[in-house]
Amino acid sequence: MADVIVHIEGLKKYFEPHQSLIQSIGKSGPKKVIKAVDSISFDIVRGEIFGLIGESGSGKTTTGKLVMKLLDPTEGVIEFNNEDVTKLDKAGVIEYRRKVQMIFQDPYASMNPRFKIRDVLEEPLIIHKIGSSFDERQKLIIKALEEVKMMPAEEFMGRYPHMLSGGQRQRVATARTLILNPSLLVADEPVSMIDLSTRAEILAMMKDVQEDLGLSYLYITHDLSTARYFTDRIAVMYLGRIVEMGLADDIIDNPLHPYTQALIQAVPEPNAGNVGVVKELPIFGEIPSPANIPSGCRFHTRCPYAKPECENEAEPELMPAGNGHFHACRRWDQIKRAL
Amino acid sequence: MSSGDTKFKLSEFWNEFKKEKSGIVGLVILLLCLLVVIFEPLILPWKEANSKWRDINYWQDNPASAPPEWTNVFSKQKAPVTQRITKGKREEVELEGGAKMVTYTLDYNYTADKAPLDVIFHISGTGDIPLTVSIERPDGLQVELFQRFEQGLSNQDIRISVDNDGREAAFAFIKQYESELALEDYSSTSLRTGDILFSIAQTGMAKEFKPLKGTYKLIAQAMILDPANMDISDPYVVVTGSVSGILGTDDSKRDLASGLIAGMKWALMIGFLTSIVSVLIGVLYGIISAYFGGKVDSVMMFIYQIVNSIPVLPVLIVISAIFKPNIYTLILVMIIFFWTGSVMTVRSMALQIKEETYIEAAKALGATNRRIIFRHMVPLLIPYSFASMALSVPSAIVYESSVSLLGLGDATIVTWGQILHDAMQGAAVLKGLWWWVIPPGLAIAAMGMTFAFIGFSMDKILHPKLQTR
Repeated sequence: MADVIVHIEGLKKYFEPHQSLIQSIGKSGPKKVIKAVDSISFDIVRGEIFGLIGESGSGKTTTGKLVMKLLDPTEGVIEFNNEDVTKLDKAGVIEYRRKVQMIFQDPYASMNPRFKIRDVLEEPLIIHKIGSSFDERQKLIIKALEEVKMMPAEEFMGRYPHMLSGGQRQRVATARTLILNPSLLVADEPVSMIDLSTRAEILAMMKDVQEDLGLSYLYITHDLSTARYFTDRIAVMYLGRIVEMGLADDIIDNPLHPYTQALIQAVPEPNAGNVGVVKELPIFGEIPSPANIPSGCRFHTRCPYAKPECENEAEPELMPAGNGHFHACRRWDQIKRAL
Repeated sequence: MSSGDTKFKLSEFWNEFKKEKSGIVGLVILLLCLLVVIFEPLILPWKEANSKWRDINYWQDNPASAPPEWTNVFSKQKAPVTQRITKGKREEVELEGGAKMVTYTLDYNYTADKAPLDVIFHISGTGDIPLTVSIERPDGLQVELFQRFEQGLSNQDIRISVDNDGREAAFAFIKQYESELALEDYSSTSLRTGDILFSIAQTGMAKEFKPLKGTYKLIAQAMILDPANMDISDPYVVVTGSVSGILGTDDSKRDLASGLIAGMKWALMIGFLTSIVSVLIGVLYGIISAYFGGKVDSVMMFIYQIVNSIPVLPVLIVISAIFKPNIYTLILVMIIFFWTGSVMTVRSMALQIKEETYIEAAKALGATNRRIIFRHMVPLLIPYSFASMALSVPSAIVYESSVSLLGLGDATIVTWGQILHDAMQGAAVLKGLWWWVIPPGLAIAAMGMTFAFIGFSMDKILHPKLQTR
């Protein structure tokens, strides 16, 4: 077994909508529970970049927050370095957060607009009591900024986040997480709000850092193209469940689940002659509400290959297809033959 | 955060603040107010206004309901200004048997078109003093106004009001010029002493007052029988004019300028203490309620609603009935009820801030609740807090005056609210005593404006995004 840094098993997160006192007395019907994450399991190996892919509403961000311990799971196990972290005390959580850090989707919203870059980067140092003096912290901040290639560091330190470009902001956000020397970074769509032109640059920077420091990433995205470029392994999520998981190349080149196939076909290709060509998506409709998950295979409502058994029989579990490739489609071999 | 960093931030803040004109105006007014408070002992026209505001004797030499001195500039007939003459010339004449005759002469330069309301002699005496008070007019006529034999004094103040005590003598004086017939309608009580003494001595002076301008000598004379044990000393004369002081007097003869200056420190203190403490409590309460949410929020909102729905006035009446009303208990009670003012707005703002990604990011960095509240949420609410403080400063001052209206104010101090309350009771508006109403009203308004100016300027600076606009 490889060196697993994060082990997740049967992780669930259900949200119960708020009810007032009167409501809870008045209505005795079954509570509508939103199943944001519905029993998922995966491992992240030390030093790998693990991608979590899905549409909006598929529960990938919730998973990231669960790993980050920003949310408490309803059920399931999260092990970090072989230690269960679901039931940590306050001090334990703070200690845990020193090792696990998060980069947020919106690099502007993730920084207090009243904080200068220096304050943004100093905050984690103060929280974790790193660097006893102003000068010592100053050195660490400069080092972190140089690590993400924000130079000259001294000049950027006095600026406010709104004075920086999106790419620069995301570099600062990365620097803020790196300053604590974490071993796992949860990156929640770190480049989705950045110009295409700077995306690759940021991702390359993140990859450099990862190689330099031996980090592991949990890379959450809806963008297959960056996922292939950036990740080692990918798990595809649909409605709170992992429907396919495997090596990045396997998933993209040889998708087994119809949902993954649909996602891959949806990626626009900037080829000559593609102007005005709207790709016909094999799937239709919106993702169903996680408060009302379809019976049987939860994808059957949108699946072009769905048969009655998909709706009526129990939901398929992840099945191995060799080479570390897993999928959750009972008709996968039939679909493959049909293609 | 290190102290060097804080210092840097403060200087940076000050550089920004300097650019805000209204903020500077507010700051200047506030500084002036603070200077007035600091140098109050020097600038107070009546030095004991603080302790003797309600002492009738302290104010007895002033005219009642007199307009300010500077109103003379606008009137054709100049009214005499209330003034205090302390420079006296002492003369002693040795008499037979060891006794001596002591004479004090004080000069009063009379230039107004109307007669003074009164001339009041003050002199300290020890032992048995036979005192004679007379006045020597610019035309050389001397009127002996009054004689009195004071016994058993021990350095006590003798007060002689010419208007009261010299009435008979003045009547005798006018009789020399006016016929019995002309004086038929008058008696010694219906004629004002001042009108006789400061008039040109001629027939018809009873009907029409014609001022005799010039230097009047006010003379106090006493025969000291036993110079070793008896003496008179420290004479002064108050000429009670019909205008008085910078801001006039109220109907209890109190100098309003003194009251206003003495009230400033209380206004600042009531305003500052009540608004700062209550807004701080309210802001923290709102943030904590919003931040923790759930059951904490429910319980805190329940307490808030109870406090918010308690009528303040009945509680205040009960509290002041039990405890002696004192400015600090008043402030405390106001704080207990005023903190609710900002809670709801702060809570709704905090609910919004709480959902910001950077709060989540701070949590992900491992920040404690306290750090998130104080470093990320409170600074965002500072501008609102200042605006809220600015708004509650005047309301605290007005509230204090409403409490005074019920007779529950602190009777040992003088506040602007109490002056306004007295003015209302004295029907100042109906009687046209504007100098009794406008200055304290303006003072309260200016104080509120000052805080609003400062608050709004800080608002601009603490919102970095607004700077670029």
